[in-house]
Amino acid sequence: MRAMQDAFRDDATRRLLITWAVMMGLTLITMLSARLGGDARLAALPLWSAGLLLATTLFKAHRVLMVYLGLADASPAWRGAFVGMTLATLVLVASGYMMARF
Amino acid sequence: MTDPHEATHSRPLPNPGWGPLSALPGNPLMWVLILSEMVVFAAFFGLFAWLRVGERDVFDSSQQLLDPVAGGINTMVLLTSGLFAALAVQAITQGKVRRCRQWLGAAFALGVVFCVVKVIEYADKLGQGLMPETNTFFTFYYLLTGFHFAHVLFGLGLIALVAWRISHDNVETAAAFWHMVDLIWILLYPIIYLLR
Repeated sequence: MRAMQDAFRDDATRRLLITWAVMMGLTLITMLSARLGGDARLAALPLWSAGLLLATTLFKAHRVLMVYLGLADASPAWRGAFVGMTLATLVLVASGYMMARF
Repeated sequence: MTDPHEATHSRPLPNPGWGPLSALPGNPLMWVLILSEMVVFAAFFGLFAWLRVGERDVFDSSQQLLDPVAGGINTMVLLTSGLFAALAVQAITQGKVRRCRQWLGAAFALGVVFCVVKVIEYADKLGQGLMPETNTFFTFYYLLTGFHFAHVLFGLGLIALVAWRISHDNVETAAAFWHMVDLIWILLYPIIYLLR
């Protein structure tokens, strides 16, 4: 507890903690939007829910790269390469998902 | 001779002398590993999505047999463990060795929690007779989560090692590996467990 209080006084660690809290919240929102309970679990996700799922995944991956891994301090080319790689992966998955669905 | 990558960068480079990798923070070789792992998993995810097109019913009905809540809990466990690893790096940067070990210990403990949840999940699936050869979905389920699980185990070993042989570079490198494990799970969880 003392360690957590000390950490929160520092700007850099405060940024880490806020990032963590946002990602935890987004994980919960993702689980709720994916309708994990009852009969809804048996149906295909509404398109908005599938879109939200992929968008929050991209955002969380972006935050891990920038804040946890410190990529924010790298050159724009490297930032673009890693974020582009993540985006390309999710676009690939989204394309397969849409093709299977329609 | 001046490296063109270094000459065009206005801020001091974190890793001078590493050519194109000079502008990356931490150990440049760890970034090579992270990028290569991302490419490998991207290929697997792409193949998974492609095969889903042809066997949508099989994939959807098999996905219903997974436990998305356990997967979600494990996502939160890994995110928190990643936070502790990042705090360990902050602590060692400030020269607080004891505090760094505490954060590494916390990150390690949550990594173990992840493994326990995963083993329970595997035991449940295997107990239901759901094997890698059951169908294409379960082949990918075991392949992707198993490959990731192996990375978690390696990461735990790495964290234990750097907590013992502690130095700034060691902690930073182990934390970067641990964040990569985190990143892969962030992508894996919705694709395997949730998207339907």
